[in-house]
Amino acid sequence: MPYVVPLSGGDITSFNVHNGFPEALVRGFRSSFLTEYDYNNLTQCENLDDVRLNLQETDYDQFLSSQTKVTPALIQEKATTKLVKEFNYLKAQAQEPLVTFMEYIQYEYMIENVMLLLKGTLSGRNVEELIAQCHPLGLFAPSTMKLIPMFEASPKGYMDLYQTVLIDTPIGDYFSRFLEEHKPSGHDSAGGDDANIVRNVLEEVEIEIIKNSLMKLYLEDFHRFCKKVGGDTAIVMCELLEARADRNAINITLNSFNGPLNEPHMRSTDRRRLYPAIGQLYPEATSDFTDVSDEAALAAVLEPYPVYREIWAVHMNESFGNKSIDDAFYERDVEMLELSFEGQMHFAPFYAYIKLKEQEIRNLVWISECIVQRQRDEINKFIPLFTDSAPWKVARRAAR
Amino acid sequence: MSAQVAPTRMALTLYKGKLVGAKKGYELLKKKSDALKARFRVIAKQIYELKKQMREDAATSFFSMTQAQYAAGEFKSKVLDTPHPAAIRVKTRTDNVAGVKLPIFASYNTGVEIKDNIGLSGGGQKVVSCRNKYHQWVENLVKLASLQTSFVTMDEALKVTNRRVNALENVTIPRIEGIIKYINRELDELEREDFTRLKKVVEKKRENAAKEDKRLAEVKQKMQNLRVEGDLLDDYDLEKKGDVYF
Repeated sequence: MPYVVPLSGGDITSFNVHNGFPEALVRGFRSSFLTEYDYNNLTQCENLDDVRLNLQETDYDQFLSSQTKVTPALIQEKATTKLVKEFNYLKAQAQEPLVTFMEYIQYEYMIENVMLLLKGTLSGRNVEELIAQCHPLGLFAPSTMKLIPMFEASPKGYMDLYQTVLIDTPIGDYFSRFLEEHKPSGHDSAGGDDANIVRNVLEEVEIEIIKNSLMKLYLEDFHRFCKKVGGDTAIVMCELLEARADRNAINITLNSFNGPLNEPHMRSTDRRRLYPAIGQLYPEATSDFTDVSDEAALAAVLEPYPVYREIWAVHMNESFGNKSIDDAFYERDVEMLELSFEGQMHFAPFYAYIKLKEQEIRNLVWISECIVQRQRDEINKFIPLFTDSAPWKVARRAAR
Repeated sequence: MSAQVAPTRMALTLYKGKLVGAKKGYELLKKKSDALKARFRVIAKQIYELKKQMREDAATSFFSMTQAQYAAGEFKSKVLDTPHPAAIRVKTRTDNVAGVKLPIFASYNTGVEIKDNIGLSGGGQKVVSCRNKYHQWVENLVKLASLQTSFVTMDEALKVTNRRVNALENVTIPRIEGIIKYINRELDELEREDFTRLKKVVEKKRENAAKEDKRLAEVKQKMQNLRVEGDLLDDYDLEKKGDVYF
């Protein structure tokens, strides 16, 4: 019987046949997360050498053993390398559609890398430096990477760059759609105009706006893919992605208040284009966001959504509780990601594993920076993972 | 040195004038030195306070950077790659304290709007607060730099002034006083010399006069003796007005 690659990724009968081994691996990796006990030890450390000693007891083992001087930046770099190694190992054991799923996870980092390279070459920085700063999960084939900075900052150069390099990358699609949206009206796609459009867009639109537009397109695309895969994957992943999209929308609105994006005409064109077309807040709340220009209006729009109302309350109490809206969003993310490990027969654990590992790396860097800067009272402001004392777990136990 | 000065009355008045000038200059310079010293102490105190403040500023700024990176991810390269004109500039002017020109730096905002939207999809507020903290720190840094340059300049000026004060006090004024004393001594001596000479001359004259008298007296005596022997002209009566024929 010829082997047929299954399109569906999530049903009880066929899941373990095709994806059992990678899933077992990822659940093994789940137990490698730092526990509450480890975090307690780390916060008691006096300096970074103590931190290194404590980390040797955990799954991190000897990852810093060859270094003489330990800095927070070094810890981040090495921990990320470890994560990338594990991810690549998982990907090597995977089959379709899990492979495409994992590639979708990588697209997010590719977007950041491309932005970094483009902007870096616009300002004339060294190629090698830029490549060294790229996130390792988002690397293209080395040949492609080398080509990107080679192009000159001329209209023809951009056109070449776009046509040869960006189109071939998986995110080339997002780029072309982004350029479509930003084409100034009245121009037609004649050859010469295209090059100018590309150049204008890349030079004048700020890098953050480009990145957020690409992220929006990416989230929508990922959402479509998960729906196509179907089964439990669709259910769980779509919920996770919708939470991400809502978080982006709220943050963009909130952070634009002090900038030019808050102008009335900018709100309805540029800012609106950054809201993804998925999520609880779409479409009513996001269209209401067009009229929001300060925090009170934002609070009013978020009233009907209980989750976001609570998170907004944290933001309003920021001076009392010292917790910011970013912390509240991170906590909610961690809650949802931990829960996604609870079910079986779907791809969400792979996504959750990457995101939770990222949070762990953030925690490690925060703890080491606090130790180095001697800010002992702030050191506990990280979010521990998989603990029994997380606030949402406590609340659920109390409610029971 | 004293040998080159002519010990005349004119020289004396000249040097007396110089002494007055030197004394007056000494008074004025001392006043300047005191003013500089007072200002110097004030600046040193301000520097101490500001440096203590600087420690706090540095700690909070770097920590706010850590918080921003926790919330918004790595944004260092994004900031470095976006071309910004400077948002804070420093302008210099000179302040005049007791004749000493001090450079003073003042920072001012160029009003350049920073709209790079870092952390737009997360952590933007932390980035803004980080920016504000560093802004505050830079302003304090400019103040500190200004104070330290004035400190150094003031130090130099104070040294120079003190050197001049000491020089006047220990070298110039005693030298002039020495010269004046010398001239006075010489003048006195000249006067004494004159006086002595005068006395001697008067004595000599008296002696000479006495000698002269004595000689005259002797001559008269001789003449009297001669008249007694008779002489040719005895018969001749001067009253008879006849001619004498030989």
